[in-house]
Amino acid sequence: MLLRPNPASGVPIYLQLMEQVKHAIETGALRAGEQLPGIRPLAEELVINANTVAKAYRELEHEGVIELRHGAGAFVSANSRPKKATETLRAGQAVVADAVRKLRDRGVTNEEIRRLFEAELAGVAKTGEPRG
Amino acid sequence: MLWYKAWLDTRWRFLIGLGLLAISAAGIVFAYPRVVALLPLVPASDTGGELGRRIREAALLSREFRGYIWWQWFHQTAPQEWTIASVLLGTGGLVAQGSSGALFTLSMPVSRTRLLAVRAATGLAELFLVALAAVVLLPLLAPAVGERYAFADAIVHGLCMFAAGAVFFNLAFLLSTSFDDGWRPLLITLAAAVVLATCEQVFRGLEPYSVFTVMSGDLYFRTGHLPWLGIAASAGVSAALFSISTVNLARRDF
Amino acid sequence: MAESIVVETVELHKRYGAVDALCGLSLRVPAGSIFGFLGRNGAGKTTTIKILLGMAHPGGGRATVFGLAADDRAASVEIRRRTAFVSDEKDLYDGMTVAEMIRFTAGFFPRWRGDLEQRYLRSFELPPDRKVKALSRGMRTKLALLLSLSRGAELLVLDEPTAGLDPAMTEEVLQALVGHAAREGMTIFFSSHQIAEVEQIADAVAIIDRGRTIVAGALDELREKFRRVQLVFAGDAPEGAFDSPGVARVRRNGRVLTVLATAGAESILDRGRALQAVSMDVVPVTLKEIFLESVAAED
Repeated sequence: MLLRPNPASGVPIYLQLMEQVKHAIETGALRAGEQLPGIRPLAEELVINANTVAKAYRELEHEGVIELRHGAGAFVSANSRPKKATETLRAGQAVVADAVRKLRDRGVTNEEIRRLFEAELAGVAKTGEPRG
Repeated sequence: MLWYKAWLDTRWRFLIGLGLLAISAAGIVFAYPRVVALLPLVPASDTGGELGRRIREAALLSREFRGYIWWQWFHQTAPQEWTIASVLLGTGGLVAQGSSGALFTLSMPVSRTRLLAVRAATGLAELFLVALAAVVLLPLLAPAVGERYAFADAIVHGLCMFAAGAVFFNLAFLLSTSFDDGWRPLLITLAAAVVLATCEQVFRGLEPYSVFTVMSGDLYFRTGHLPWLGIAASAGVSAALFSISTVNLARRDF
Repeated sequence: MAESIVVETVELHKRYGAVDALCGLSLRVPAGSIFGFLGRNGAGKTTTIKILLGMAHPGGGRATVFGLAADDRAASVEIRRRTAFVSDEKDLYDGMTVAEMIRFTAGFFPRWRGDLEQRYLRSFELPPDRKVKALSRGMRTKLALLLSLSRGAELLVLDEPTAGLDPAMTEEVLQALVGHAAREGMTIFFSSHQIAEVEQIADAVAIIDRGRTIVAGALDELREKFRRVQLVFAGDAPEGAFDSPGVARVRRNGRVLTVLATAGAESILDRGRALQAVSMDVVPVTLKEIFLESVAAED
């Protein structure tokens, strides 16, 4: 169910995993209360470091997406926070789609669009506020 | 399992050395009847000087089987073959290029000294067996040519051969910790043997102190006394060479 | 959280004749991590590993494993009791069979894990009665791996573990390493050229060149810190404007300046704005690019 992360993409593997888990919850592949694969079996299956899987699971727990039950494993959270995240993301998706469409209309290519977003995010990361 | 590995590494050399010496010993026994037949043909005291003296001594000794065996084998033939066998058993080991798995061995939790000790002990045990097996053939085969040879003589001579051979063994062993090809330790040790033998020929005064004198059991043959001093000296030199080997290997970078 | 360090070298030096193989190499490997050791041929990877395992003597500096001095003879034996090593040649005893190699190795390790031996014998499909010299390179690698994983070691040191292996076998080897590390909690220290596999399984890396560590740290942190920033200026790009720590490389090409930042892009972007760059792009950098840039910077 979980796809092999791409180590060479520049995005840390644990982030890719987190995204995949969230996506799986969104699409219904993983439902509330369902158990996620164990850290070690998952690491072995995807041939990645177990520490990376553990980090992804920890961050997901921190965000409330999953629960780590000691001795039992990782389970999708029953509460609605992930749903909220999903809704926010869905709305965000619409915003991005709109922006991308507008930029394309101006003749900006996909690569350029990607770089614009990166630069913007880098600027946001520093000041915490959008520029200009 | 280190012992098994050492055995695997030296197995063929052991068997070749054994074969060589055994055939040589058997050969000398079976050649006796022919020598006896030829003896009367040796001219009496015609040739002078060193050569004449040797011919006369050979003829004299060969009248008796014991003397013949000593002169022809222990004094003449065996030292050459025995030196080669000793050197052969002493080469090889960790440093040698052909040795597979050197890094693997070094990654095991054993000290290099222990590795060397096992290897040396195995080689020396094999050396001893080759000496013993070869000399024991003499009393065993003598009746086949109608003669007798004392087991005691054989054993003592075997011991002397072993003690002297151990010196060359350890020299080759030491050189094998310095050079990574199999040839140089072999050649250098053999060259050293040749030099020693030549010195012994040229400087007759050195003869009593030569390792080859110990090897042939000269003192025992002539007087019946074991050459304790010679054996002890050989053992001392062997031990010293081995010590240097351990220091040499300990310092080495792989 | 104080991490325990399994392997540490401090300013390690080593000279072979006229060649300086190591010129002050320092690194630290945290316990339980999978640590990738990257470098070009001749950078000093194998030399470092040999020193750690007592196969070579350091010329200067310090190397410790499990807190024990690697150049102390008695300590080195103890280190090797707790460490498993697979050389790049996967050099084993040609004359022995697979079963004999296992018996030989098991004899040295009282903590030998028979269960793991059986497991790997099966999953690697190694024929017990075949002689080592009759094994293919891939099979020899798997045997070497079996011998190291079954001995109950705390540290596994591998020199180019997947060199010369086809992709399927490479994946098998990586999978065995990842699975074993997860189950047994051992530390894995491996040197490699294959950046892809390091990126896939390593927690932390050290990139070395010419006998020195150029870049080291947790992989995720490195991925976050390294950024490529491309700045376009109205006129000719300014020279020397980005000579500062946190910048690995600056390339000028007419009006375009490409900066490789090693401590995040923010300060570069600030500078860019101050210099009135017309446009600024920020791109993440892969480990391969980090590697290539780091060793190229040394040339």
